Amino acid sequence: MAAASYMSNRIEYGSYFFGKVVRFAFLLVAILAIFNHVKTMAGYSKYQVIAFFLTAFLVDTIGQALFRGIYLVREDIRKGNFDYVVSKPLNSLAYSLFRLPDFLDVIFLVPLLTLVIYTFVKLGIFSNPANILLYLVFILISTIILVALHIVSVSLTVWTMESESFIWIYRNAMFLGLFPPEIFSNPVQLIFTFAMPIIIIVAVPAKALLGILTPGMALAALAVAFVFFFGSLLLWKISLKHYSSASS
Amino acid sequence: MFSRQGSTFPLSANASNSSRLNLMKKYLTVFKTSWANELEYRAAFLLARSRNIIYLLLLYYVWLSLSKMTGRFAMYGTEELTTYVFGAHLLRSVIFGAQSRLPAWEINDGTFSIFLVRPVSHFWFVFWRELAQRAIYFASAVAELVIFVWLTRANFLGLVDWGVTIIILITIINAIFLYFLLTYLVNLFAFWSREAMGPRFLFEWFLEFGSGAFFPLDILSKTLLITFQFLPFAYIVYFPLKTYLGKWDPWQIATGISIQIVFIIIFSLLVIFTWRRGLRRYSGEGI
Repeated sequence: MAAASYMSNRIEYGSYFFGKVVRFAFLLVAILAIFNHVKTMAGYSKYQVIAFFLTAFLVDTIGQALFRGIYLVREDIRKGNFDYVVSKPLNSLAYSLFRLPDFLDVIFLVPLLTLVIYTFVKLGIFSNPANILLYLVFILISTIILVALHIVSVSLTVWTMESESFIWIYRNAMFLGLFPPEIFSNPVQLIFTFAMPIIIIVAVPAKALLGILTPGMALAALAVAFVFFFGSLLLWKISLKHYSSASS
Repeated sequence: MFSRQGSTFPLSANASNSSRLNLMKKYLTVFKTSWANELEYRAAFLLARSRNIIYLLLLYYVWLSLSKMTGRFAMYGTEELTTYVFGAHLLRSVIFGAQSRLPAWEINDGTFSIFLVRPVSHFWFVFWRELAQRAIYFASAVAELVIFVWLTRANFLGLVDWGVTIIILITIINAIFLYFLLTYLVNLFAFWSREAMGPRFLFEWFLEFGSGAFFPLDILSKTLLITFQFLPFAYIVYFPLKTYLGKWDPWQIATGISIQIVFIIIFSLLVIFTWRRGLRRYSGEGI
């Protein structure tokens, strides 16, 4: 159904797709241009910085591909359609999160993964399969944190009828993950590690790939994923208790 | 269904308003209403500002880290780069507007029909409506920068003299008009297609990067830089900021301002042409 919707508005969604490509391409061109003038950035080489950049886009694209449906929740609640969701024999949270996959982002994953593999080759990562495995594990942990952030957003929408401001703050904050976290001052790194865990989501997998992940950082990532995920599920349960139907 | 004879020229007022004072009063009312509306929806306002604060954080630390070792990056010193980032933050707020998709929505959902029977020019109505939002954003951007500078103790370049200040103001005013004409023109494509938001999204990203709002365009290769200098986008943020940094000689400044004016004229004519053609197609669907 989602695919049919995209195909019926080809100009609209074609333009959205090219907009994503343009945004990605220009940012990549900017990074390449930077390295025409310098050899390192915060101690990282060109392809190491590109690894951070591609990881940020990879995780963000996975999130957008899976959770596009979250932007429809507020309208459903406002119009009273959410009553029909909670009364059905299906998990209302899963339905709210996964009902509308974004096929544009699924398609965008193809060139993105190609570039990721190209970067692996340039960095000589294939000679360290353990790093690739760790990278995949921490991408999974990042996805769990992403799920948690989206659950928090849905919960806040159900509870307060507030718009999806929270999720847009996260979407905007993902820009900070495009570059290695060492460029930021310590207070900024702390905020975006524990309060809005962008650094955990992006930098931890990238550092695992590069073989420079410390055990402390790895444990912090696991702890943050655990706290955020189970905390978000608790928040969802509380928000459902506070849900007041607007219809019927 | 709707008389189009009085609305064929978007840059002049409709109906019989003879007094320029009355005309200005109308648009000032639009300004005040939009101002109040913007302050009413505080969550949306904070969300829009959060995006720009994120960009400020990112760009400040990127350029700082790149220039930290030698005090320079490319042809810019650390203070020049910091000034560019701060200047881009201010210019984003006063030149780029978040309301600028409204005209396309109004055309697609039929509420545009209201403007055809009102004694105001749609073009100027939208301009003054967006100007209010930009004024609020600018005030917010100044406050954000004050706090940011206080927290980071960042150094930046102040204004040199009044002559340069006036020239910079001219470049910024031209940039405001140029940006508005570009986005208004893209919005008018909604007359031809209900699928106007996608192309708008694509256009906005071209504009963001091509204008130099993320990085100075001259860090790119010569080929890309020359390409961007043939496009109007580079004269929206990049040109005013380079003028501020004192990177142009007087001849280059005069040329840049002339190019801004030429683009303003070209896009004004395109807006008029597109408006007239678009009105012939408009059918008021949705109301």
